[in-house]
Amino acid sequence: MKPMSIRKTLARAVAVILAGAALAPAHAQDAYVAPRTVNGQPDLQGVWANNSTTPLQRPAEFADRATLTDEEFEALAARAAEIEAGTGDALFGDGFLSAAISGTVESYDPATGNYDQTWMASRTLENRTSLIVDPPNGRLPEMLPAARERMMAEIQERRANPSDSYTSRPLQERCITYGMPYMLAGYNSYYQIVQSATHVAIIQEMIHDVRLIPLDAGPHVDEKIRLWHGDSRGWFEGDTLVIETRNFSDASEFRGSRGNRVFKERFTRTAHDNLQYEFTIEDAETWVSPWTAVLNWTRSEDPIYEYACHEGNYALEGILSGARAEERMAAEQGN
Amino acid sequence: MAKLLPCFTALSAALGLSLSLLTGSASAQPSDIPRTADGKPDFNGLWQALGNNHWGIEPHNARMGPDYRWAALGAIPAGLGVVEGGEIPYTPEARAKQQENQADWLARDPVVKCYMPGVPRANYMPFPFQIVQSPEHVVMAYEFASANRIVYMDRPDFAAPVPSWMGHSLGRWEGDTLVIDVTEQMPDTWLDHSGNHHTDQLKVTERYTHLSRDVIQYEVTLEDPGVYTRPWRMKMPLYRRLDENAQLLEFKCVEFAEELLYGHLVKGAERTEP
Repeated sequence: MKPMSIRKTLARAVAVILAGAALAPAHAQDAYVAPRTVNGQPDLQGVWANNSTTPLQRPAEFADRATLTDEEFEALAARAAEIEAGTGDALFGDGFLSAAISGTVESYDPATGNYDQTWMASRTLENRTSLIVDPPNGRLPEMLPAARERMMAEIQERRANPSDSYTSRPLQERCITYGMPYMLAGYNSYYQIVQSATHVAIIQEMIHDVRLIPLDAGPHVDEKIRLWHGDSRGWFEGDTLVIETRNFSDASEFRGSRGNRVFKERFTRTAHDNLQYEFTIEDAETWVSPWTAVLNWTRSEDPIYEYACHEGNYALEGILSGARAEERMAAEQGN
Repeated sequence: MAKLLPCFTALSAALGLSLSLLTGSASAQPSDIPRTADGKPDFNGLWQALGNNHWGIEPHNARMGPDYRWAALGAIPAGLGVVEGGEIPYTPEARAKQQENQADWLARDPVVKCYMPGVPRANYMPFPFQIVQSPEHVVMAYEFASANRIVYMDRPDFAAPVPSWMGHSLGRWEGDTLVIDVTEQMPDTWLDHSGNHHTDQLKVTERYTHLSRDVIQYEVTLEDPGVYTRPWRMKMPLYRRLDENAQLLEFKCVEFAEELLYGHLVKGAERTEP
């Protein structure tokens, strides 16, 4: 992915958001008021990057602490800078901070080799120990037994027969979806927001997608209509864009949750270059309680690129061909 | 425009001429069309082409579909064509390639595999698309394959970073017409199901003009010295979807193309070719 390397050369160093600025809730911000669009709405437009290093769930090392001391944070920032300057494997999502904590870069795919540093976007180090803000322990709530069983059965099936069919492969590899919300930081994690009087378009670079949020529209589509990314309705509450999304399909799995989930998002611009993105997921069939995460999207001056995922998907054909070739070899050796 | 209009109208009235005569076209009068808060023609909405242009942009007869089991439902309807002059001005070699493509279209047509259609084809696929318009950007979100493009307004110097399936779109206003130059498209896309094609030298100029509140006249000029002997044009209306609560749904067609593309690689598959 060329775009990544371009972005990286533009800003090589790890950016550091100082404690506080990113953490404070929107209403407590020091008088930052988003500019208005021609239609008088809070202007959330621009290209935004989800490149934070903060993991979804708080690592055990940090126990009940939502932030680190200044000294700890400086030490972590120094290790993060070393990783970014290094030549090891690429680190996406939560992997970056894990490496900064442990001091070792572990390859997530030692079998075939890994993406290298060329693939890494500049990451934004925040003094926060988890994206999850509720439950307060920064961890996902407990899963209900039936949901856990269902998830484990699926994982076992996938492990037992990883390449029998294209349907055995993850949805990401099939270029269908990375899920909703897409939240893997540092990997095509760019969004562009464009607003009209009646709609907010959230263009998602990953795989290429546009979420269309009608404002002050009627009720959701019929419950029989089920969608990979759900059916969204939005409105402004003060300076915050609120979106409620439901009608997910059961195939649109998200961390063990399925079609029953209700997804509420709140977008608030807290600075010229920061869009606070809060979401709450409620699914009484999956978790014992709803949970909420806060991400900080940072402004990017670069454009969104077209990600023609399926058009260039040689990997899926390669994976299935390889599996069939292995089976043929095994059969021949058996004879 | 709005400020000039009263005296312009008064003048034309004084001369006994109607405004439509003066402008000399079938497009809507400037006061009739929807406008955005900044006074530009408002193309926000859900739009769709009608007719059979997606089957063939040149005049064509009805013909048998690719699978007899689909019978009348799968047969391909006739179309009057939308190419100005009736025929695309191909070089002889390029015309021969189109005919080869057409003879083997089901195997060769990129949208059968759920590849993004490119421009202008995306605009007349039998699926709606949503326009979200701000002063700086016009987003076109297509239902088919979640294809989309961002039109950058008034940034003539913004070069395409890389070639792409949906191209690089730079827009500007010419009066009440939205004009978009589309370049740097992948050579792989087609113009219809009839094998009409282009190269990576394709330059598309699109013109969107309101005929009325709910109809856009869509005119497009295609230049490609690799396959066409001269620039050529086509035009067709785009209609606003007026269905109550109309909205774009998902057509993530990858999942519908996988058996075609990968079915022969599934464990125990009977067929060995795609």
